Amino acid sequence: MADGESSREATARTLRNAFGNVFSFFILLLIGILAFSIRLFSVIKYESVIHEFDPYFNYRVTQFLTKNGIYDFWNWFDDRTWYPLGRVIGGTVYPGLTLTAGTLWWLLNSLNIPLSVETVCVFTAPIFSAFASWATYLLTKEVKGTGAGLTAAVLLAMVPSYISRSVAGSYDNEAVAIFALIFTFYLYIKTLNTGSLFYATLNALAYFYMVCSWGGYTFIINLIPMHVLLCIVTGRYSSRLYIAYAPLVVLGTLLAALVPVVGFNAVMTSEHFASFLVFIIIHVVALVYHVKGNLSPRMFKVAVTLVVSVGLVVCCAMIAVLIALVASSPTKGWSGRSLSLLDPTYASKYIPIIASVSEHQPPTWPSYFMDINVLAFLVPAGIIACFLPLSDASSFVVLYIVTAVYFSGVMVRLMLVFAPAACIMSGIALSEAFNVLTRSIKFQLPGSSGISQSGDTSMNTEGEQNDIAKTEKMDETAKERPSKKNKRKEKEPVVKASIRSRIERRLLVLPLEASVIAIILLVLLGAFYVKVACKVDAALNVHASTLEKSSRVGRWKLVHCVWAAAEAYSAPSIVLTTYSREGGLHVFDDFREAYAWLSHNTEVDDKVASWWDYGYQTTAMANRTVIVDNNTWNNTHIATVGTAMSSPEKAAWEIFNSLDVKYVLVVFGGLVGYPSDDINKFLWMVRIGGGVFPHIKEPDYLRDGQYRIDSQATPTMLNCLMYKLSYYRFVETDGKAFDRVRQTEIGKKYFKLTHFEEVFTTHHWMVRIYKLKPPKNRIRGKTKKSKSKASSTSSPKRSGTGKRNPWH
Amino acid sequence: MAIFPTVFLPLLLLTSVLHCATADSDDLVTELLSLQSQSKSGIIHLDDRLISRFLTSAKPPRPYSLLIFFDAEQFHSKPELHLQDLYTQYSLVSSSFIANNDVSAASSLFFCAIEFKESQKSFSLFGVNSLPHIRLVGPNVKNLQDSEVMDQGDFSRMAESMSEFVESRTKLNVGPIHRPPTVSKNQIAFLVVIVLIWVRFFIKNVATKDTILHDWRVWLLGAVFVYFFSVSGGMFNIIRKMPLFLVDRNDPSKLVFFHQGSGMQLGGEGFAVGFLYTTVGLLLGVVTHVLVRVNNRSAQQVVMGVALVVSFWAVKKVVSLDNWKTGYGVHAFWPTSWR
Repeated sequence: MADGESSREATARTLRNAFGNVFSFFILLLIGILAFSIRLFSVIKYESVIHEFDPYFNYRVTQFLTKNGIYDFWNWFDDRTWYPLGRVIGGTVYPGLTLTAGTLWWLLNSLNIPLSVETVCVFTAPIFSAFASWATYLLTKEVKGTGAGLTAAVLLAMVPSYISRSVAGSYDNEAVAIFALIFTFYLYIKTLNTGSLFYATLNALAYFYMVCSWGGYTFIINLIPMHVLLCIVTGRYSSRLYIAYAPLVVLGTLLAALVPVVGFNAVMTSEHFASFLVFIIIHVVALVYHVKGNLSPRMFKVAVTLVVSVGLVVCCAMIAVLIALVASSPTKGWSGRSLSLLDPTYASKYIPIIASVSEHQPPTWPSYFMDINVLAFLVPAGIIACFLPLSDASSFVVLYIVTAVYFSGVMVRLMLVFAPAACIMSGIALSEAFNVLTRSIKFQLPGSSGISQSGDTSMNTEGEQNDIAKTEKMDETAKERPSKKNKRKEKEPVVKASIRSRIERRLLVLPLEASVIAIILLVLLGAFYVKVACKVDAALNVHASTLEKSSRVGRWKLVHCVWAAAEAYSAPSIVLTTYSREGGLHVFDDFREAYAWLSHNTEVDDKVASWWDYGYQTTAMANRTVIVDNNTWNNTHIATVGTAMSSPEKAAWEIFNSLDVKYVLVVFGGLVGYPSDDINKFLWMVRIGGGVFPHIKEPDYLRDGQYRIDSQATPTMLNCLMYKLSYYRFVETDGKAFDRVRQTEIGKKYFKLTHFEEVFTTHHWMVRIYKLKPPKNRIRGKTKKSKSKASSTSSPKRSGTGKRNPWH
Repeated sequence: MAIFPTVFLPLLLLTSVLHCATADSDDLVTELLSLQSQSKSGIIHLDDRLISRFLTSAKPPRPYSLLIFFDAEQFHSKPELHLQDLYTQYSLVSSSFIANNDVSAASSLFFCAIEFKESQKSFSLFGVNSLPHIRLVGPNVKNLQDSEVMDQGDFSRMAESMSEFVESRTKLNVGPIHRPPTVSKNQIAFLVVIVLIWVRFFIKNVATKDTILHDWRVWLLGAVFVYFFSVSGGMFNIIRKMPLFLVDRNDPSKLVFFHQGSGMQLGGEGFAVGFLYTTVGLLLGVVTHVLVRVNNRSAQQVVMGVALVVSFWAVKKVVSLDNWKTGYGVHAFWPTSWR
């Protein structure tokens, strides 16, 4: 190894480099495959379906796109939702995901690979997570070299927080947006390192893709200006910085304004003002540097006073104009979600609809352990590594992690933005640690030539001890090495890096035995991480569904089911499974059963009312018009439905009738113990309803501040529509009407419905559908007829003989 | 002769009594006004004597209504009652009411407060047995227990909801709440001057690259601190106003630092775990970047030993705490043939 001549060593080194490049290419390929395949568990465990709520909407839009083409999609007015208002889809969605999947589908079809739109949609997220891990490699490589890049990429491929949003079937904006985010950052760093206009242009295009894909693009357009400002303030201005920033703002803003949903917001809202302010500042600074280069020092001093005073005046004028503009708008130009980031208590005070969503809650410490797992331990080491030495690129990564970790602390949902940063930092930390530790082992092993130099300072004091210890340690390392090679391929380049750096840093080593133990511990830590990542397979939990009181959305158990840790994440909201104590698999397919019933047994133009969580699914799967859906753009409309649900039967009937509603759908988990049902979300309906219609008062539904549905419940609670629709005939199931979610017997067991009639209840009673009775004194005969029909459809359900799922 | 006085005397008496009564109530109002002007926020401090003078002995209809805040100093130490917060909000309503309305006119609403220690009798007179408690005694209330209670919902949203309550019950207009600005005008001017002066020097320093901002250690510390604060759920503590620890209900001498169940955390618990998270990372960073440069081999060994033990313990602790708190555990699935 070290005993050859210099020429031989040089050829060996180039060979090694070439070998290393090929090797890292294959490692990257494997990482891509890993990232893709680890997300397929949901398909293997359940089936190839689209999960959750929002993805159904995206799926529906993609279907429309592939059927009608891009122009019709752009001008699409959807009359199936928000009845009677309707919704302009083309102008209100981020089209990135839909266009990506649509293009993918079109490409595959033109290659004569006939995949259905649904299949393409299901697998879009895993494909893009492979891309995302490659982008992470590129970004980290720009910051700290290949070794760190590969480590970060493999970490990102398995980070639980990202897996939970990108499993096969979770067809949501975040799936492609995280890739776009990382790739934009990579191109920014690349431009910053090279100063090339080519990359700057690519950067603007990547930013455009990000704007197309996700509202989170505002994070980019604020983070990059912050970094530029930081560089200027700390005296790191360079022409490369200018090239990296100025084209991005100009091109990026122009491109962003092309996306209909953003439009003039790109120049009108406060989220974007920071970038313009920094744009002005960087020009002033560039001018100063330019003048400084052209003038003698004395002249420069005169010029400085001139420029600074003029610049200050201009700046003050601009700021004043900005402030005046901002102050004239009621929300100060900020959207509610951004405001709640800056002032964390904002949302809980003023916007219940934002506060009500579980992913907008602040996380506690276990959430971090759940979402990034052991990476939480490694990040500080990565931060330290980034400061030694501090470069433009590493300062950007530090800024990224600091802002992202703060934002994630305000909203659980932004954990997703934080996760890539954590992976990058941990990748750097791990890579540096392995670098040092393996180097220490390599050069202190007996027989290695490095030993004489490295040990010379301490040999005389500890020589004897070392001799005794060495034989054991050698065994350990011998055991350690091959196992590491087999298990974790990504560690290889780190070893390689240490070989490369051996010449210049020969003396920087740690004690041998401690290094060995440290490596073992780090590998154990890594093994733990891999294990956790594998558990997070069909991960689908807290996603845009209304908050429940205390139970986790993801956790759901049957009385007779074994509660396994692996199940923590596997609660898709369309198909649910549990394992019985004997190991049998029990499938709950109630949602699809109900939607299929709707689509087969109701008129095409019938309107179905439900809480907004189920709006997207109803339009996508049952193809029926809904009143409200998950795009919560009209608070009043949602409040109307909330009020109807919280009103007594007659009042509710009147509200629903005025909205032409034919059917009301409620989700009820009391029979099987499914906690994200409507009764648990009910307080939010009351709150949101009460926010617009003051006659609905929250205290009326609470007994001494406690939400309860047992005999202690308030009369208002027991008489409201939601209670009645949920618990109608519930007592007939077990005779006691014991609610398995609330763990109590219900307060009012026997009652009749006067204005609604039950038309369908699914196998496990999870979805119940009611029809509004026609006004009584008009056509009596018809009422009777439909009643008899209703009882005939619902009676087999009650006996539980199990009608076949009409979906298949 | 005798007729004259006999007819006149009752009349005279009547008029004098009437006069006395109106004069009496006028007196009461002026007395209330003077009491009101004595306090800064316009809250009248009542005691048993004044209660009997203004309420029990004054016959309805009285020309004024009183809004009474029931206070107890001994409960100020209990944070869950928010007595002091409510009192400041209450005084805000009071001072805003006085500022927005002409007090000397018969606006006839007075803000009062009553202290438990001084006036226990009045507390029982009103039948108040729990705090916080605010009552409105209208002009026509005979039995004090019939007076209107401001319920929990009405003071939940602080001063604004209190004033809504008052407006809805008394038909009086409270007007906008004047909150004192958090910094006074003089302070603002002072701050602006300071900032302006500082900006001058700052720009000069930035130009010469000689500020605290150019020291990377400051940035490093800041970054690590933000990380520590966020992963320990600090924002959760702020948004949900979590205390650092709770007192055990069964045993008041015991403090509860850890709360089981993942939806909630206590402040101290978060910071403890955040500290563990951060320590491991910092140790790893120190070992890989600082310790390597140390020449003394035994020092290296000692430090590394300590770092390894501490890190191992910290990770183990966090894993077990997480398992305890959320119930989620990770365990390996061995192949069935291995069993």
